[in-house]
Amino acid sequence: MTPRPLTVALLGNPNVGKSTLFTLLAGIPTRVGNYPGVTVEEKVGRFLHRGRQIDLVDLPGTYSLAPQSPDERVTVDVLQGRMAGVPRPDCLILVVDATNLERNLYLATQALEVGLPAVIALTLSDVADRRGIRIDADELTHRLGCPVVRVAAPTGEGIGAVRDRMLDAIGGPPPRPLALSATDAPTASGVTRPPAASDAIARYAAIGRLLEGISGTSRPALRLTEDRIDALLTHRLWGTLFFAAVMLTMFASIFWLAAPLMDLISAGMDGLSALLEGLLPSGPVRSLLIDGVLAGVAGSVVFVPQIALLFLFIAVLEGCGYLSRAAFLMDRLLVGAGLSGKSFIPLLSSFACAIPGIMAARTIENRRDRLLTILVAPLMSCSARLPVYLLLCGAFVPDRAAGLPWLPLKAAVLTGLYALGVVVAAVVAIVLSRTLFRGPPQSFVMELPGWRWPRPAVVLERAREAAWSFLVNAGTLIVAVSVVIWALMNYPRDDRSIDADVTALRTTLESQIAATGSDDPERGDLVAERASLDTPEGLESARRGAAQRQSFLGRGGRFIEPVVRPLGWDWRIGCAAIASFPAREVVLGTLGVIYNLGDVDPGEEEGATLLQRRLKAARWDGTNRRVFTLPVALSIMVFFALCAQCASTLVVIGRETGSWVWPIVTFVYMTVLAWLGAFAIYRLGLFLGW
Amino acid sequence: MVSLDDIPVGTTVRVQDVHGADPVSLRLLEMGLTPGIEIRLVGRAPFGDPLELEVRGYRLSIRRQEAARVSIGDR
Repeated sequence: MTPRPLTVALLGNPNVGKSTLFTLLAGIPTRVGNYPGVTVEEKVGRFLHRGRQIDLVDLPGTYSLAPQSPDERVTVDVLQGRMAGVPRPDCLILVVDATNLERNLYLATQALEVGLPAVIALTLSDVADRRGIRIDADELTHRLGCPVVRVAAPTGEGIGAVRDRMLDAIGGPPPRPLALSATDAPTASGVTRPPAASDAIARYAAIGRLLEGISGTSRPALRLTEDRIDALLTHRLWGTLFFAAVMLTMFASIFWLAAPLMDLISAGMDGLSALLEGLLPSGPVRSLLIDGVLAGVAGSVVFVPQIALLFLFIAVLEGCGYLSRAAFLMDRLLVGAGLSGKSFIPLLSSFACAIPGIMAARTIENRRDRLLTILVAPLMSCSARLPVYLLLCGAFVPDRAAGLPWLPLKAAVLTGLYALGVVVAAVVAIVLSRTLFRGPPQSFVMELPGWRWPRPAVVLERAREAAWSFLVNAGTLIVAVSVVIWALMNYPRDDRSIDADVTALRTTLESQIAATGSDDPERGDLVAERASLDTPEGLESARRGAAQRQSFLGRGGRFIEPVVRPLGWDWRIGCAAIASFPAREVVLGTLGVIYNLGDVDPGEEEGATLLQRRLKAARWDGTNRRVFTLPVALSIMVFFALCAQCASTLVVIGRETGSWVWPIVTFVYMTVLAWLGAFAIYRLGLFLGW
Repeated sequence: MVSLDDIPVGTTVRVQDVHGADPVSLRLLEMGLTPGIEIRLVGRAPFGDPLELEVRGYRLSIRRQEAARVSIGDR
């Protein structure tokens, strides 16, 4: 009979080399997910030692076992064996940073009181040596009654010893707790402290006695170098410049470095759909596979380069200790909006795409700050909004200066749309932090870890894990949403009424041609559109447009017409807005289909020009009044700047918050704001006679 | 009461006490800001807040709001 697998838990403070130790002991985790009911990451790895199978559970990095946060509560529950799905550990590996012994022993000595066998791994021992910190591990073992092993990741020192001591400890007597003395925590000026506070004071005093004579520093030289780096990188001017350079590099790479990879994925998916098109007969099955399933797969895989690149960056910044410094530098700027310095990177990344941005919010430990950041991140104008802005600006914003001679109006509108997202996000964050998220003042007690080189294995694992968890958790849902939208856009379908629609279109065009004078510049376009109805491709495009207008989505567009009328929109724009729920940029393709252009690519210059001309020529049903005027174009752009028309973002919010309440809240508040914003700009435009 | 928020950058001081009985005060104690310990104000962020401290040989960042709870005396 093979003995049952042993469960060993890895416990330590954040930033102490815990992930590195996990990788060295167990390699790539066999299971990554969330603990049931909470969004605290569960990571389990597996390895064999002396013929025993060991399940290594990586607990969230915590500073204390007096539970204040969900992370700490999970840690305590696992240690007590109260966490569903995780057996009570047979042994603990307490990760203690040798360069920061006193504070790390705080958690470690608390853990010794749990009554489980334990091994202390003194990580970063090589760094401690270079800094001249000497620790008598044998004497510490003796005084604590628990094995203390020196570990140095670059050489692999101590990994074998940790495994050996771990198996030796199992079955042995549990370590004795550190003796705390009540006299160490005198009550100050007659005020009674809470028991946990007295415990903290007494514990540090006991740790001081424990380390007497066995730990000390002989060479503070390296410390001085680190001080200098720190002084420079948190300097008012140089620190801020360096920060700007780092952020710019990070942003530029997720914005531009990811682009060729994303193009490659799109091209691959296009090739695949062309292949399927050749293999399958035309019909609903082919349409479902290509426009539903494959479009959904493409729509999720396409985010992977940005996610992987951003997490690569975050892991490097975190590994070298800069992530906390960045939060330190930016904190004051964001605290006014009810956020914290840690919200900066998630929000900045959201200008490229909200999905990696929302995932990056995992680096925010404070749950309230994290949720608030996630809720406002989709307001940052992402790269998917840019084509919508560019097309509409190009077609409807006049070519003139905006007050200042060097500032074209088009550029001013574009800048304004980006600024709008930031300002609205700040206002929403302020309002939410004073209403829904009101509570005691948020504390900001953050360690600034020592400078060190990031470990490539840990960095790569972080990027791989982020991309993988996105594909597995969110990707599948995105495909499902895509299939549902496909069905709504293609059904019901009635060929007879499609024919009637095309005939009506022909009549309308003919009467429009008759009504326009021969010198009207648009006459040519109308004649061309009428002529295209006699070609097979033109007829097919017109039939597709008719089919889409008759689908559930098209009907939805007509149904919501009273709602979008105040924004200056006709029902076609309403349709396109609804149909863009899978992703904002889809609105352009949908407009193309609705306006009988078929599958134009608005990303290509030719397609964009074609669509721009067709939009300019569009008239309200049965009248000669133009649909698209400057106020209407602005109203559409403002709507798309603020709306939550991105199913993938909502899916990721659901996954990252562990609740479907938050995507619904996001969708509702953003749509309401988008409507109000679009209404305001449309009315303002009409009032000022734009 | 002289608090940690009132001292110039570069000063080393001794913690007298951490006031308040809420989770914030407990966290400050847990991070090692216990009565009697020596700490140094290493710097301030570009906008003057938060502060960077050296506590028990490591660097800790807290906002002025939290620093105001820490009363200090001379070393």
